[in-house]
Amino acid sequence: MLKRSIAAEGLKLRHSRIWLILFVLPSLSILIGCANYYLNQGVLHQEWYSLWTQVSLFYGEFFLPILIAICCSYLCRLEHQNHNWNSLMAAPISPAHVFLAKLAVLGILLFFVQIFFLLLYYGAGKLLQLSSPFPLETLGWIFKGWLACITIASIQLGLSLRIRSFATPIGICLCAVFMGLGMYLLKLGMFFPYSLLTIGMGILQQKCIMGSENLLFIIMNLLFTILFSFISIYRLKNTDITA
Amino acid sequence: MNAVVTTQKLTKHYEGICRVKELDLQVYEGEIYGFLGPNGAGKSTNLKMLLGLVKPSAGKIAIFGKDFQQNRTYVLQHTGSLIESPSYYGHLTGLENLRIMQRLRDVPDKNITEVLKIVRLEQQKHKKVAHYSLGMKQRLGIAMALLAFPKLLILDEPTNGLDPGGIEEIRELIKSLPGQYGITVLLSSHLLAEIEQMATSVGIISNGQLLFQGRKDTLQEKSKNYIFLRTGNNEWAQNLLQQKGYHPVKYKEQLRLANLTDEEIARINKTLVQANLDVIRIEEYHKSLEDIFLELTRKENNLC
Repeated sequence: MLKRSIAAEGLKLRHSRIWLILFVLPSLSILIGCANYYLNQGVLHQEWYSLWTQVSLFYGEFFLPILIAICCSYLCRLEHQNHNWNSLMAAPISPAHVFLAKLAVLGILLFFVQIFFLLLYYGAGKLLQLSSPFPLETLGWIFKGWLACITIASIQLGLSLRIRSFATPIGICLCAVFMGLGMYLLKLGMFFPYSLLTIGMGILQQKCIMGSENLLFIIMNLLFTILFSFISIYRLKNTDITA
Repeated sequence: MNAVVTTQKLTKHYEGICRVKELDLQVYEGEIYGFLGPNGAGKSTNLKMLLGLVKPSAGKIAIFGKDFQQNRTYVLQHTGSLIESPSYYGHLTGLENLRIMQRLRDVPDKNITEVLKIVRLEQQKHKKVAHYSLGMKQRLGIAMALLAFPKLLILDEPTNGLDPGGIEEIRELIKSLPGQYGITVLLSSHLLAEIEQMATSVGIISNGQLLFQGRKDTLQEKSKNYIFLRTGNNEWAQNLLQQKGYHPVKYKEQLRLANLTDEEIARINKTLVQANLDVIRIEEYHKSLEDIFLELTRKENNLC
């Protein structure tokens, strides 16, 4: 049943302009990051790692969270418009599957966005003629970043389900990301979902988190995702639908 | 006859205001049940509760003999619906919209072809729904509701926004559903004429309360016929008839009598003539369904 719901969610994205955003925002991050790197080569000596600090900062702390929030708002706006909640919630699909199908589609989209960003990073490094070997840690950052994306998506999706406005949840997301930076600096990043992206993608510290920390990171992501999904599903189940 | 929909004391409060009050609905298999009431009477709220879109404050819902809460998926699998305005994804074509519903309901491709034929949208299926006219959107909505050929079809104001030709077409379609596909239809309307022409059973609701429920012919029978009498001296005639045990009421220039058989009328006439009173006119007044509806709903409003 979940598979069918996911297929239905996929169909809704046809002829949609959301694809544009999925390509444009990572490209913008790379462009700005590369420009920064290029202009500050005097102080940035660590080649791939230095490039990563620049591109991932713009991507992970700004464009990616915005992208997640936009996708969530978009997926919900499809239902908020034209009374679609009525037909969706009167279909023989459990509220849990309605939510999880959307989260799954977001997971798939964000996976491709992460891969696309990785390719752009690689391409940019080659263009800038970085001579050291490509750091394999990046793969880990991309994957852990993806996990954090899903955590944030589970929250944003819940917000967008609730708030009919397109922009408000995106604004909330931006505020939360800045708060996340603060939490990260206070060493509380693991306990604030929006900081997980900073940790996972190795944005501020290019050390690869190890062993127990890795485990904590994965557990916290899982916990947050389950918790926020549960809240949204519970709400979807128990409140009146206004279409 | 099997009851398809049964509700027991179904109630819904919104912020302390009672929108639906202790509704006991009974819809039987093969019926076209017309849910009639003025705007804001609680029709949509009630239909939404039957689909689980609105959670009841109190009361029970059983559909196909099963408790709704415990069998939500089963019930919804066999129920098609069109609530409020039609639902659609404007950036997709009519066909793509149906494909989404097909995934959600897990039905074969041939159903899509068939419902497109039924609502006559085959020519427009590749057009974006945002560019559809209101009537076409409404027909697409009906197609989506029909897609799984459900046992129960719930339609909220199905002819809203249609032109007269379209109304006629949809009306004929709805009337054919029980016979052709074995679908029980529960529809709402604030237009009496519509219910009168489509429904086999009627539920009249006003201010959240069910004022009448039953077969349409019962409702029509319920309509009391009045006899209006006009005589040379109405006061004298009234006294005389009261002595004979009738209850004439003065009504403008006439006397009004309710519930008389033909024999009684003949006897009254004879009495008056024998008393040397001129009988000028004996008129029968048949109340239309509209009068009954207005009377029922008005009485309700006066009580508040």
